[in-house]
Amino acid sequence: MTDSYLNQYVPLLVHMIVAAGLSAILILLSTFVGNRRPTRAKMQAYECGMRPTGDAREPFSVKFYLVAMLFILFDVEAIFFYPWAYVFRDLQVFGFVEMMVYIGILLVGYLYLWKKGALDWNR
Amino acid sequence: MFPPIQDIYRIAPELVACLFGMLIMVADPFVPRERKGAMGRLGLAGALGALVAVELMSRHAGAAMNGLLVVDSFSVFLHMIIYGAASLVVLASYDYLERENLQQGEFYALLFFATCGMGIMASATELMTVFVGLEISSIASYILACYRRAALKSHESAMKYFLLGSFATAFFLYGVAMVYGATGTTSLVAIRAAAAHATDHHMLLTLGFGMLFVGMAFKIAAAPFQVWTPDVYEGAPTPVTALLASGPKAAAFAVLLRIVFTAFGDASSTWFWIVWISAALTMVVGNFAAVAQSNVKRMLAYSSIAHAGYLLVAVAAAGAAGEESAAGIAAVLFYLVAYALMKVGAFTIVSHLGGSGEQRLEIDDYAGLSTRQPTTAACLALYLLSLLGLPLTAGFLGKVYIFQAALDAKLIWLVVIMAVTTVVGAFYYLRVIWVMYFREAQQDWTPAPVAPGVAAVMFLTAAGILALFFFPGPLMTFAAHSALSLR
Amino acid sequence: MANEGYLLSVVTFLPLLGSLGLLALRGDDHTWIRRLALATALANFVLSLLLLHGFAAGTPGYQLEELRPWIHWPPINYHLGVDGLSLWLVILTTFLTPIAILCSWESIGHRVKEFFLMLLVLETGMIGVFLSLDLILFFVFWEVMLVPMYFLIGIWGHERRIYAAIKFVLYTMAGSVLMLVAILWLFGLSGASVPGGTFDLPTIQVLLQNGKLQLPHTTELLLFGAFFLAFAIKVPLFPLHTWLPDAHVEAPTAGSVILAGVLLKMGTYGLLRFCLPLFPAASKELAPWVAVLAMIGIVYGALVSMVQPDLKKLIAYSSVSHLGFVVLGIFSFHPVAIQGAIYQMLNHGISTGALFLIAGMLYDRRHTHLIKEFGGLATPMPALSAFFLFVCLSSLGLPMLNGFVGEFLILLGTYQVNKLWATFGALGVILAAVYLLWAYQRVAFGEVTVEKNRVLPDCSPRERLILWPLCVMILWMGIGSPVFLSRTETASQQVIEQMKRPQMPALAGTRGAVPQLRDAPAGAESATAVQQGAGPK
Repeated sequence: MTDSYLNQYVPLLVHMIVAAGLSAILILLSTFVGNRRPTRAKMQAYECGMRPTGDAREPFSVKFYLVAMLFILFDVEAIFFYPWAYVFRDLQVFGFVEMMVYIGILLVGYLYLWKKGALDWNR
Repeated sequence: MFPPIQDIYRIAPELVACLFGMLIMVADPFVPRERKGAMGRLGLAGALGALVAVELMSRHAGAAMNGLLVVDSFSVFLHMIIYGAASLVVLASYDYLERENLQQGEFYALLFFATCGMGIMASATELMTVFVGLEISSIASYILACYRRAALKSHESAMKYFLLGSFATAFFLYGVAMVYGATGTTSLVAIRAAAAHATDHHMLLTLGFGMLFVGMAFKIAAAPFQVWTPDVYEGAPTPVTALLASGPKAAAFAVLLRIVFTAFGDASSTWFWIVWISAALTMVVGNFAAVAQSNVKRMLAYSSIAHAGYLLVAVAAAGAAGEESAAGIAAVLFYLVAYALMKVGAFTIVSHLGGSGEQRLEIDDYAGLSTRQPTTAACLALYLLSLLGLPLTAGFLGKVYIFQAALDAKLIWLVVIMAVTTVVGAFYYLRVIWVMYFREAQQDWTPAPVAPGVAAVMFLTAAGILALFFFPGPLMTFAAHSALSLR
Repeated sequence: MANEGYLLSVVTFLPLLGSLGLLALRGDDHTWIRRLALATALANFVLSLLLLHGFAAGTPGYQLEELRPWIHWPPINYHLGVDGLSLWLVILTTFLTPIAILCSWESIGHRVKEFFLMLLVLETGMIGVFLSLDLILFFVFWEVMLVPMYFLIGIWGHERRIYAAIKFVLYTMAGSVLMLVAILWLFGLSGASVPGGTFDLPTIQVLLQNGKLQLPHTTELLLFGAFFLAFAIKVPLFPLHTWLPDAHVEAPTAGSVILAGVLLKMGTYGLLRFCLPLFPAASKELAPWVAVLAMIGIVYGALVSMVQPDLKKLIAYSSVSHLGFVVLGIFSFHPVAIQGAIYQMLNHGISTGALFLIAGMLYDRRHTHLIKEFGGLATPMPALSAFFLFVCLSSLGLPMLNGFVGEFLILLGTYQVNKLWATFGALGVILAAVYLLWAYQRVAFGEVTVEKNRVLPDCSPRERLILWPLCVMILWMGIGSPVFLSRTETASQQVIEQMKRPQMPALAGTRGAVPQLRDAPAGAESATAVQQGAGPK
């Protein structure tokens, strides 16, 4: 490898090869060498010693996902306020106007959600 | 700290698109169901407003936003294509949404957001800005592809588009990272300067370019990254397909051209063969696969792959021509305009003929159309003949320019492949025409009367295709001028 | 000198204007649609006769030129001009179109408006091909012609019409796309001597002749190949002829008449206009091979004709044979033979057109082309049989009729160049007599074998109106050939003249039979004027 820049990454490459190789070896060894005597009890799902009941794949109401999604959206967007607050003094009026625009866009989204009934649990 | 007012003008089309997008989005829930037609009028107003904004933008050439964007005649040219296509799609979808009983507000809002992203791609001079534009347009397009929620095909289309699209975007981002690693910058001009010195990073740079090319090749549907195209085009609502076939393709070609000629302009040897091989593959795959299609949308999707190949021939020609690259770039630009007109027109007619629920999409469904709706059949025939590249249409001159550029660059083999695959194209384009004209009409079917919006699109695109053949002068001058601004 | 009136434009675009007029008519108003179409075609015929008036026989080069800038870059001009080569072909086109319209008067019953529209658009395309002097303009007309022909075969044809239509288009496009590439390549090469390059045929011709533009040997061969392929498919030359029988058999009568009468001539016209003058070295080098193909075509076409049970197919294959003859004449590079080839192109247009018309009339009566379905037709329809015999005799080259003049000239010229070629040519003439007379005998003589044929009506007045002009022309061209030849003479010499290149001055003399060479390169005058007229780019 003649590329000097890439040379910096050779240790990383070695690391990845070693990691992948080691895990491959471990898995393969246990597959070929290990002893297996499956019984009915062993094949059951492990539920802290309790007897498992029902199917693990139970459908949730899609509303939960919706709320979770909305939360993440607004949460992530709110995080942008922190760095802004930190440099607010340096940015002065420009920063203020920019943030107002940003909040305005958020508000548009919020208004849209509200009118669409995304926040209404019983709809 | 405030950007100069000129910077605002320089992103005026994007601002207008965004504002109208948001306006429509917010207004939609407040408008009662029976008056949703207002959304369409608002959408049309927005589209025309954005076109006016493009004019405004064109008067303020120069770099904007600290060099993230630039307004030069190249970006103005592409804005014209992208916003023009979007306006036509707005016109075409007006009646479609009503017929399919789909939400109107969000559709136009998403359309504007997608267009805005494409506009950013067209004027971006910096890889991260390209990425932002790419994402804005892609995410809106994914949702638009899924817009016919009742149809399973639409879901399939959106899912495939989303998964493969994200994959391609990831490639693009990885390429950006590599190029940054090699040159220490993401600005296209600076990359060129840095690449001239950083000779020991040649391999990293080539790899980076390869990744960037994968991302762009996905968007323009160039082989071997074209697999998604037929499925996505088939499942998406047809007006959306019209947009997908014209807008993102133009934007991605803008990015590709900027990357290869601004950032990698001195290193055409790194990318020339990549483009060459991709062009050849794309033409062959697109044209031969199209022959086997019985669904009009799929056929047009494969034809759109084939056309990406023709466009790549011109890119390769520009690359091989060295200092004389302007002819090839101008050929790409001219062809993009012609191509957008033909594809938007064709898909609009497909959308019109599809009927409620897009049931009639087989080529055989068009039997006897020439007696049922002569004008529609004639327009579709015109688009198809133009796609085929017969004279009296813009497609012919477009092909002439590409042949011309490729011959000047001495790409004889590529020209031969293009010529041969064009003849293959005759087979599937003419098949639609013979079904429309030579077959007897089926008794149980009468197409719905042509809606005003569809009629307007048909008229505008058909007139454009003919006008570009008889008076190509102004557009070609503009294209040649734009091509020079890439250097 | 650049623009000499508008006559050529008018002749070219009048049919298109007529077709626009047709669009304005109601679709079910068949009478007026037919009348308007016929009136347009007749008016165009009369106008094209004005060409004869304005055309100065014996003057080399293009006349009545029109040159207007069209597209700035690449410099494509609207450049029309006529010379001895194209003059009669244009008139042949305008002559056959009204006849084609008349013969479809009753036989075309559905989508009448579209039919005549296509026919008129086709006429514009055909005339445009003959008159264009700009390579791209030529190509535009060449391709535009495809579309109406595709529809004519596809909509109004017989059972296997779709197959035939697609085959026709695919064959033609395969050749023409490569020709487009060659045209653009030539344009690029011309950029070396004209700033920016040129598509102007006379200009390129002059550049080639005065040595300012020189084509490397391989390049010339490739360019020749690309042009030749396009034209050979159109001619059609063996083994590229397979689209022809299908297209002819499936096309409606008018389509067959136009196809045989004019479209096939475009191939031979292209050979004379482009292949020989632009690429003489390649032409000469490959002439023996072309001649072999032409000779195979002559014999093969004739033999296949002989065994055809289908009358229309028989005539179609006879075209392969006859046009092989024309190609043979062209590639002998002898002025007399080329003169004969031009003449034979016209003859074939009229005679074969008439044969197809008669086959179409029989088809109108019996709805079949099979020869065995006829027999003894001279009894129920003496007039039609007489016409048929007359046309057959013309086609097989009976002295006093037109076919003889063309064939004689070709044989005369070819004999001086290569005796073997002339022998094969003569063989073709003999075989033509065999298959045509035999076919005629089976159709017209003997007992009436099929009962239905006894009551068939003879020629209607309309049919007589169609056939009489053709027969008059056949006779006139047979005995009054100087009228025609005096105008083509300079053109055929000019082709030989244009094949001369400065670095090979000996070539003109090698054939030893080039009479009356003029001092100035033919066409130089007009072409330099064109160059100035085109202005700086």
